[in-house]
Amino acid sequence: MSSTALDPVTLTIMNNAFVNICREMGITMMRTAFSPIFNEGLDFSCVLFDRHANLIGQAEFCPAQIAAAVYATRWTIEELGLEAFEPGDVVIHNDPYRGGTHMPEHLVLKPVFHEGHLVGFLANIGHLAEIGGKAVGSFASDATEIFQEGLRLPPVKIMKRGEHDMEIWRILMTNHRTPRNTWGDINAQIGSLRVSERSFLSLIDRYGRETVEQAATELLDYSERWMRNEISAIPDGTYAFSGQQEDDGVVDQPVNYHVEVTVKGDELIVDWTGTDPQTQGPINATYAVIAGAVYNAVFHLTNANIPKNHGAYRPIRIIAPPGSAVNVQYPRPCVAGNTESHAKLADMVIAALAPALPDRVAAGEGGTACNFLFGGVHPKTGDYYANYHLEGGGWGATSYQDGNDAIIVKNGNCRNTPVEIFETRYPLRTIKYELIPDSGGVGKQRGGLGTRRIMRVTEGAEITANALLDRTKPGFGAWGIEGGGIGGQAAIRVKRRGDTEFRTFSEVYGTRSPSKFTNVTLVEGDEVLIDSPGGGGYGDPGERDPAQVERDVFEGFVSPERARELYGWEGR
Amino acid sequence: MSGRWEPVVNQIWETNVQPCECCGQIVAKQLWIAEVEGVERRFCGPACEELYRSYVVPKQQAAAS
Repeated sequence: MSSTALDPVTLTIMNNAFVNICREMGITMMRTAFSPIFNEGLDFSCVLFDRHANLIGQAEFCPAQIAAAVYATRWTIEELGLEAFEPGDVVIHNDPYRGGTHMPEHLVLKPVFHEGHLVGFLANIGHLAEIGGKAVGSFASDATEIFQEGLRLPPVKIMKRGEHDMEIWRILMTNHRTPRNTWGDINAQIGSLRVSERSFLSLIDRYGRETVEQAATELLDYSERWMRNEISAIPDGTYAFSGQQEDDGVVDQPVNYHVEVTVKGDELIVDWTGTDPQTQGPINATYAVIAGAVYNAVFHLTNANIPKNHGAYRPIRIIAPPGSAVNVQYPRPCVAGNTESHAKLADMVIAALAPALPDRVAAGEGGTACNFLFGGVHPKTGDYYANYHLEGGGWGATSYQDGNDAIIVKNGNCRNTPVEIFETRYPLRTIKYELIPDSGGVGKQRGGLGTRRIMRVTEGAEITANALLDRTKPGFGAWGIEGGGIGGQAAIRVKRRGDTEFRTFSEVYGTRSPSKFTNVTLVEGDEVLIDSPGGGGYGDPGERDPAQVERDVFEGFVSPERARELYGWEGR
Repeated sequence: MSGRWEPVVNQIWETNVQPCECCGQIVAKQLWIAEVEGVERRFCGPACEELYRSYVVPKQQAAAS
């Protein structure tokens, strides 16, 4: 490698190229995948590594996977050994105890060779909508061990020297409920690797292997320096915050989390000691989930222009006690640790640092993906289908603006699936989809609003459904900051055909939990109501600009009664 | 640092993994073994041994006193 540093222009070109290679991978994935969770929801991540497994580029897709990409890739390389990789190989891996987040998320990893030399790795992690297990959609909210959550794969080659390993494929096809989708979606992942490989090799052809490798090394150091400068600007000290999840889906009691963030010079130590032991139910986080939550939070609080590569991670030390709810150990379940825990854990790090960074932090967000999964035989096609549906909720307010409305959790960064796509693919008709007035926490800046969706099962359909929602109980709403109020609650209810009102699933079906249940049957005419939670508010509501209150009432975001009661509104 | 590297050797039927006693990160191939306060501990590397000595132990001692 040259001893002379590259000029800033070349470095900028390289950084943009690394990111754009990942973006191209994502666009390919979006356009070629079979399932709406990919081509509409964008529930995948695309990353580029150097040959030492340092992350050197990632695109702006799913933050839940920003750590999983790192840890699952490193694990895979260590377990298989560098010498095991050959041109044309693709490894698949979804083991949550080996660096993954939860089992639906499958890593596909491809080594890249240039003129016989290993020059890096490309990876795509995507959430397959169905991978077997006890519940359709592989999201069993009452799971008590990993084996109920679907098919677990250690790192194995699904392609060897450019050829599909059909033995691996046959195992997948046999264990997943919707094998055709699995075939299409994993091949979309693999195809996206091929497209980005072409671009990466083209970059190397143009600039030379030595220059590209040197740029990667310098960019890692540059990100590290920038992150250290950002951390140095935070006053030294230890900042703590405690949070809760209402229950784990199996045991009806809260799960308690505790974090202490120590700022020491230009390093952060994020210590989760004091968090409850791992739970019986599936809300446990893996190491990759907690690491992703921490990185996600730190990226929210620091300069958005820091290149998002492994160098930026170096000054951040994480302590996640093994066997706790933030570092699950075999064989405890973990499918909801990614969707339900990540956002809250990231928000806890943000809230802990509120005293030090009051103008950068946000109040708590909805923090539940409102997971609703369903499947069955489609009455029009006769094909078995399965879908993983997410709802956007309200995000937390900041010192400078209201929280966003109807946005999917910060670990997802996914898109809401359009109603038209939903109705085209599945036998559910959307009867209502609207923002919920008064669901945003009050404050000088108001929390974002949650949504209400009502869906009706269409003619001739019978659907098996599962759900896992949090923040459905009083006292567990998204927290406010600096005097802001908590966000509105989530809910899921059902109205059987012929009934006149919605009731909880516990009342109608006798499920142990009203918001976390598995394998409930819905038939033609039944309706499901899902409320997503609102975000927390920021600051004293008495200081809210009266013009903003007036606008909220006019738009229907805040009811006149609440506006009078909480904001002192004097209009009619 | 006074530790040593030891390979992780698992039988084919041993599918669980070993975490670092400091950070909790999973360890695939080799553990860093070091004696801290008279107890042999398993880490993912020397950096975690240092963090354990400089952060975890003092914190535990402070909590105990």
